[in-house]
Amino acid sequence: MSTTMNRRSGRAFHREHGTLQHLLKRSQRFLLIGLPLTFLVIWAMVPILWAFMASLKEPLEIYESNTFFPRDPSLEAYKTVLAIDGFGVWMFNSVLVTVVATIVPLILSILAAYGFSRYFFRFRHVLLLLYLIPRIIPRVSLIVPLNDLMTNLGLINTYWVLYITYIASAVPLSTWILVGFFKAVPREIEESATIDGANMWNRLRYVILPIAWPGVVTAAVLCVREGWNEFAFVLALVTESGMRTLPYALYTLRDSMGVQNFAVYNAFTILTVLPLLVVYLLLERRVVESIVTGAVK
Amino acid sequence: MKGNGSVASSTSAGDDRLTAREWINDQATNTVPYLLVVPGLIFVIGVLGYAVFGGFVLSLNETDMFLNKSFVGLENYIKVFNDPRFQASLLRTIVFVICSITLGMVMSMIFALTLYHVGFGRRFFRGMSLVPYFVSGIATAVMFRFVFTTSGGFANYVLHKFGLPTPSWLGDPYLAFMVAVFANCWHMVPFATLILLGGLQTVDRDIYDAATIDGASGTQTFFRITLPMIKPMLGVSLIWVSYISFSTFDIILALTSGGPQRATEVVSMYMYQLAFLQLDFGQGAVLMVVILSINTLLSLVYIYYFVLADRSDEKDARA
Repeated sequence: MSTTMNRRSGRAFHREHGTLQHLLKRSQRFLLIGLPLTFLVIWAMVPILWAFMASLKEPLEIYESNTFFPRDPSLEAYKTVLAIDGFGVWMFNSVLVTVVATIVPLILSILAAYGFSRYFFRFRHVLLLLYLIPRIIPRVSLIVPLNDLMTNLGLINTYWVLYITYIASAVPLSTWILVGFFKAVPREIEESATIDGANMWNRLRYVILPIAWPGVVTAAVLCVREGWNEFAFVLALVTESGMRTLPYALYTLRDSMGVQNFAVYNAFTILTVLPLLVVYLLLERRVVESIVTGAVK
Repeated sequence: MKGNGSVASSTSAGDDRLTAREWINDQATNTVPYLLVVPGLIFVIGVLGYAVFGGFVLSLNETDMFLNKSFVGLENYIKVFNDPRFQASLLRTIVFVICSITLGMVMSMIFALTLYHVGFGRRFFRGMSLVPYFVSGIATAVMFRFVFTTSGGFANYVLHKFGLPTPSWLGDPYLAFMVAVFANCWHMVPFATLILLGGLQTVDRDIYDAATIDGASGTQTFFRITLPMIKPMLGVSLIWVSYISFSTFDIILALTSGGPQRATEVVSMYMYQLAFLQLDFGQGAVLMVVILSINTLLSLVYIYYFVLADRSDEKDARA
């Protein structure tokens, strides 16, 4: 605020930049922004960094906890994790389920969002509402009836049960995001494409999708996040070790390894978190932008 | 919400319909939009809709060890509501939600204001602030468990540096509850922060300048201008924060499993306990209905107060 004032009036600028007052203002500004910013960085980063540092430490060094940084960083713990029987399978399961639970919901919600944003049809408000209501249903609450249903269908411990439930929970979110983005595409562009002879598929592919691409990317990243981090469903619907995804494996690791080897435990945590963080960091700008502009709610 | 929507569409129906008719002319038939919309809906209703419906039915039935069901009416509800363990867990959830909302909203607001005013490395700090949002609930819990372990944890590492006593965080009921609130906030604050930041960015800077010229103090500007102006965003982040807090499950399960001495056993934990460990699906389903109803009710209240009330304000202002 003070900077805008400075720009506006030269006298105010002069006054504020008088020696002592200027210093006071500067230090006040530093306190008001610098302090919370430092807190924000520590708050957001310490749990991850602490786990990362521990994953590089010697098991004994962790108990002493005299230092933040490892004395003698080693990748021993990561080697141990990669050698865990089943780690490859869990990683594969996670990747497979996440890919399916991203691509299928994206296709479904691109179609639905196109329908909702471009057509006037009966019951469209009701149908849109049916798409949105699931957003206020906590996923955890559904695990009891879903377990009952899937047991009856004999789908427990199959990939299908994960595909179906993950897709169902990702569709509402991505549809909601995409409807907003598709609606923002000017209708006139599509109309002129129609005059040029483009049919619906061509319009969707060559007009809507390129313009609304940031929305598609955001929806995709959030679908990946949902799929990769999902826990309640896999806990309720899978019992075999070979069908677990990484979050579930991490959860069971807690009980099986106990406190004995914190380095391995933390290395495992970092490895489950890292792939998604890489995806996020690659596409960070679009995602942050979409959330800040209120496209994701 | 629906009522408002229909009002809005009827006011602009004239021009809407004209373009709509032109639009539909080049479509083969009117079934196209339904064909577009229905496939996704099959998943949504088929799985989620069925689960909600099935949950209600399940809550009226008693299940035995072999999952055979028999209709018992409201018996499960009576049992659950008279269960002291359920009452305690419900109360605990309410305290947990209130603590999480208070801490979470204050932190989100402070972070959003900071990110709004920060001059350098804006993009970097924004991107970084969202990182916890992408860490799974289980990983969050595991990390917090490690930050707060008695020997080897970051909290005690810092306390030890300053020569302060180093408590057993997860062994003490009160402290463990606090850690659960922290972990929950860590996981949900980033998203709320960015929503609020978006709200802050929509406020016209001229209004602040005018207020400063009129002699308004910083706090006055915040409470009289900023907060009312970002009311809808405040509502959205409040819905998000309370939704997440009410249904936290993975964080608490992996952090404390409801312990010590059930100090962190919230409703969703007890539901899991009842259904999956005691195999009483009927009573577990009752808890599902409870969680669902509270969540829906809260969302409706928030939507009413923050989104709809705000819209009617705008209408009044325009009239």
